Amino acid sequence: MLARTDEITVTRRAALPGDPGVWVFILADMAAFALFFLLFTLGRIGAPDLFEHGRRTLNVGLGLANTLILLTSSWAMVQAVAAARVADRIRTVRFLWLTLAVGSGFAVSKIAEYAAKAQAGISMLTNDFYMYYFVLTGIHFFHFLIGCAAIAVTLTKARTQLIDGRFRVWIESVGCYWHMVDLLWIMLFPLLYLQRAA
Amino acid sequence: MPDDLRHVRFCAWNGMIFMFVFMVFWGMMGGNLPPWGGDQPASVIAHYFRANRDLVRTGMVVSMTFTVCYAVWGLAIGKVMRHAAGRESILVDLQVWGAGLTVVPVLVSSSFWLAGAYRPDTLPDAILQLLYDMAWLLIDLAYSVTSVQMIALGVGFLQDERHRPLMPKWVCWYSIWVGVMFVAECLMPFFKSGPFARQGILNFWIEFSIFFIYAPVVTWYLVKAIPRLEQEAAGAGAH
Repeated sequence: MLARTDEITVTRRAALPGDPGVWVFILADMAAFALFFLLFTLGRIGAPDLFEHGRRTLNVGLGLANTLILLTSSWAMVQAVAAARVADRIRTVRFLWLTLAVGSGFAVSKIAEYAAKAQAGISMLTNDFYMYYFVLTGIHFFHFLIGCAAIAVTLTKARTQLIDGRFRVWIESVGCYWHMVDLLWIMLFPLLYLQRAA
Repeated sequence: MPDDLRHVRFCAWNGMIFMFVFMVFWGMMGGNLPPWGGDQPASVIAHYFRANRDLVRTGMVVSMTFTVCYAVWGLAIGKVMRHAAGRESILVDLQVWGAGLTVVPVLVSSSFWLAGAYRPDTLPDAILQLLYDMAWLLIDLAYSVTSVQMIALGVGFLQDERHRPLMPKWVCWYSIWVGVMFVAECLMPFFKSGPFARQGILNFWIEFSIFFIYAPVVTWYLVKAIPRLEQEAAGAGAH
């Protein structure tokens, strides 16, 4: 029995986590964001003063809070996946709730940030810096919402369905997507909030 | 009763007919590959219609004639998809309806370009610009019906439990991704220049490129799936 478990572990370690097809989605998405980052960088090279002025108006505290929120949420997701691998339904459900609860802090903080900008009369049409700021964080926020919906579905599955191999592939796929949302923010935060003009 | 797949192969190739016509007649002859920028003055758009009226007319007439091929293609996909998602799956209907409804904005927007080329000498510059803008706003912002098709196609074929699925999983996920990425078209009405305008790198070059890759790839695997279904039906009949 022990030998069989070891064999399964070795096989699983050799494979990509989740459905390999999900990685097509993730890689395509990362490629699109890489292009956005390049466009932003080119824009900044063209107008360093404007971008630096815009950067200074962003709330670094909220940006940092969002980074910590997503990292913590990702940690909870890792725990949920680990629990699903040993078919521990209670821990899986508990950590999925935690992933969602902590992650929802990102939405609160982001909406507060957008509202503050709107109150100050700033929109994506104000200038090129804010165009990139709103579009890049907006598209990222859209990805975040898709992730939340996927986690909510996973939560329902975890509560009602068998925690079997099929479910493990599902939760690993959702986990990989959620880490991508996290990773993209880790790129966006320094790019938009921290990086000073040379 | 086994599915009648006799004409499905022909219908599947309609996807490639659509793509060819779309690129050559709508795109190159219609002056939409790439589009005139949203920041161009009305006089530039008006001059384009007046100087190229017959080219645009021919491009749009052929484009409107063959737009229906997209719906025919969608029906072929639906016929094959039933064998992956299940005969009664609503995903099959969503895919077919999404493909069918995609025909409408392509047809209607093409008629705006055609109207611009119909009597460009008597229409003021601003009206010709309006027709050009309306056509682009419609064809871009009608993305959601095509997204429904793409997402339903991806999710539907992912239900396939064959060891070697009819549609590879990467194609399914690519289809879902393209459907989701189309949401970026929502940005287009807010910008007249830059990467998010209709002629911009995101809203034209990326969005159209990923679509131009998507349709031939789906058609290729669709055509390959048909003989497999015929073999499966023959095998089932023999037993």
